[in-house]
Amino acid sequence: MEQSYGIFLYIISLATMGGMYAMLTLGLNIQWGFTGLFNVGIAGFFAIGAYVSAILTSPETTRHLGGFELPYIVGFSASMIVTALIAWGVGKVCLRLRSDYLAIATIGIGEIFRLILKNETWATNGPRGVSMVPKPFESLAEPYNQLMFLALVLVTVAVIYLLIEAACKSPWGRVMTAIRENEPAARAAGKNVERFRMEAFVIGCMIMGLAGAFTAQYLKFIDPNATELTTTTFLVWVMLIVGGSANNKGAILGAFLMWTVWSASEILTSRLPDDMAIRTAYVRIFLIGLALQIVLQKFPSGILPEKRPKPSGSHE
Amino acid sequence: MKKLLAVPVAATAALSLSAGVFAGDINVGSVAGVTGPIAELVAPIVAGRNLAAEHVNSQGGLLAGDTLNMVLADSACDPKAGVDAGGKVVNVEQVVAVVGASCSGATNGMVQSVTIPAGVVNISDSATAPSITDLEDNDLVFRVAPSDAYQGAALAKLAYDSGARNLAMTYSNDDYNAGIAQVFEKSFTEMGGTITANQAHEPNKASYRSELSTLANGGPDGLALFAYYGSSGIAIIRNSLENALFDKFFAADGMFDVSVIEQIGADNLKGNIQITQSASDYDDVSYQTWAELYKATGNDPKAPYAAHGYDATFLIALAIEKAGAADRSKIAAALREVANAPGEIVRPGEWEKAKALLAEGKDVNYEGATGNVDFDENGDVAGIYGVNTVADDGTWANELIK
Repeated sequence: MEQSYGIFLYIISLATMGGMYAMLTLGLNIQWGFTGLFNVGIAGFFAIGAYVSAILTSPETTRHLGGFELPYIVGFSASMIVTALIAWGVGKVCLRLRSDYLAIATIGIGEIFRLILKNETWATNGPRGVSMVPKPFESLAEPYNQLMFLALVLVTVAVIYLLIEAACKSPWGRVMTAIRENEPAARAAGKNVERFRMEAFVIGCMIMGLAGAFTAQYLKFIDPNATELTTTTFLVWVMLIVGGSANNKGAILGAFLMWTVWSASEILTSRLPDDMAIRTAYVRIFLIGLALQIVLQKFPSGILPEKRPKPSGSHE
Repeated sequence: MKKLLAVPVAATAALSLSAGVFAGDINVGSVAGVTGPIAELVAPIVAGRNLAAEHVNSQGGLLAGDTLNMVLADSACDPKAGVDAGGKVVNVEQVVAVVGASCSGATNGMVQSVTIPAGVVNISDSATAPSITDLEDNDLVFRVAPSDAYQGAALAKLAYDSGARNLAMTYSNDDYNAGIAQVFEKSFTEMGGTITANQAHEPNKASYRSELSTLANGGPDGLALFAYYGSSGIAIIRNSLENALFDKFFAADGMFDVSVIEQIGADNLKGNIQITQSASDYDDVSYQTWAELYKATGNDPKAPYAAHGYDATFLIALAIEKAGAADRSKIAAALREVANAPGEIVRPGEWEKAKALLAEGKDVNYEGATGNVDFDENGDVAGIYGVNTVADDGTWANELIK
């Protein structure tokens, strides 16, 4: 009985983390999937969102800037606003670059943000991180506190999903796809390509910042190690590619699926003898790569490929 | 959405079939940064934990002969992974207590969002961040690795015992030095000393004369200096000596380096500077016993925090035995009783003796490889420190602070 209750709690935490990754993949999907912006600076925007929310909501301490103790709703909103503003500034500088050049620029900028947050000790407590971040619903009894937090995450994912779906079916979304597929043609059709690219970049980064805020609140703690590239940039890319880029359902599926592979595979490896268990911890990283290979071989455009809206009243 | 949730549910259900907790097994979580930035440090620590479990199991086991089963999970030195790993051992593996999770950040996240809410006791064997001390932990978070801040208290005692009553202090404005300085000020005034002036300084300035002349007002006995030797410490000592503002210094381990003697001169410092530094009592019988046993497993006993891993695990085993049941809340309550005085002393490797004593209803007091592991009200241990002074031959001489 206790065992199955424990597994129930574990599934809640699995779905919660999966939901937070779904926000990241949805944000990336707007940028890469629909508009073709190669953003490899996810970790930087994630970190900004996480720290803004953590600092605004945590209790007073001598270790870092803080003591505002604002409600978490303010933390979430502020993290979105701040990431959006910063993304706008970054976009002004970087979005003139195309494809792999944009990737190089964003990975550099993402690292700069992470290093600033790590070194501005007065504000962020440096490598020691921000602790005692309040978690929504934590005063409720178990398991309701965890269920309510999960519900909050899933509702947020659902809202983001519905908004993006609506946007992508609208003329705005068509322009995005046009830019991805053939930029000169979109430009020739009189579209302001720069503005559309900027909009996609800012909205995508804003959602990544929100995912960061949720993570800080969920962990009750944030430090530079939590914004490491492996799990906050590259894993997000794998999730989107496995699930199917330019398909929002695919983005969500990829997030839940790959997080489950990442997390639950350890339940098997921890059962091995100690010497092997230490070595097989690395097998989990290998499994992610293997999953990517299999999916790319079997489903070149992801498990759920892109569905192009049917052009109404026109021929192919 | 339903289909999406079905994926993790099905996957975990399949995995749980293979789980099967064996009767007679008591699970204890062993969360460590197996992958990630400190991977090479973690393997010897895990070996230390497993050695303790081996001693317990080969000398009669827990309670009615149950096996102590350490369940390894990877915190990757990342709070996200730490929370995930903690959730797995606490919920899926149903552990009764947790050792870990290596890095301070991963530990901080894991205890706050998993083990404290679940009422599971956690002993950390290598997290030293001072912020872990002030968590609202319902007396569930302990550590056998001393907080960095404890050095401040050790230095305050050293200064007071050497006869200083009025001290000026200055610290480099970074987390590490500011943290130690804060504790130093509090401990020194509590002992009856007076801090005549306390000023932060920014590192890497060319001169500290103006700060030092302010600090020297009122003629204090000496200067307590919390800085890194390279970025400000040496400059402060030089400025003090040149202007005859201070000639006696008390410093923490950020100042411990040969270049301090090289640049200031041994003659200027002899008898005038004392620097604390974290140490281990290598002459202690508990440490030596453990080191022999650990060496036999093919590992180096001086590996950082390996002894802490052993002590943390052994303490949890003692607490389970004392509690008399694999019950989370009883174990948490019993931990202090087996770690602190009073009680008959038990050393590393002496599980059979401890088990017999506990069966007779006697108190035990574990004296570990890392020291006496007596927990204070925050669940911290004081740790062992050495003091460095300048020897006649112009090098640092180290002595253990008793």
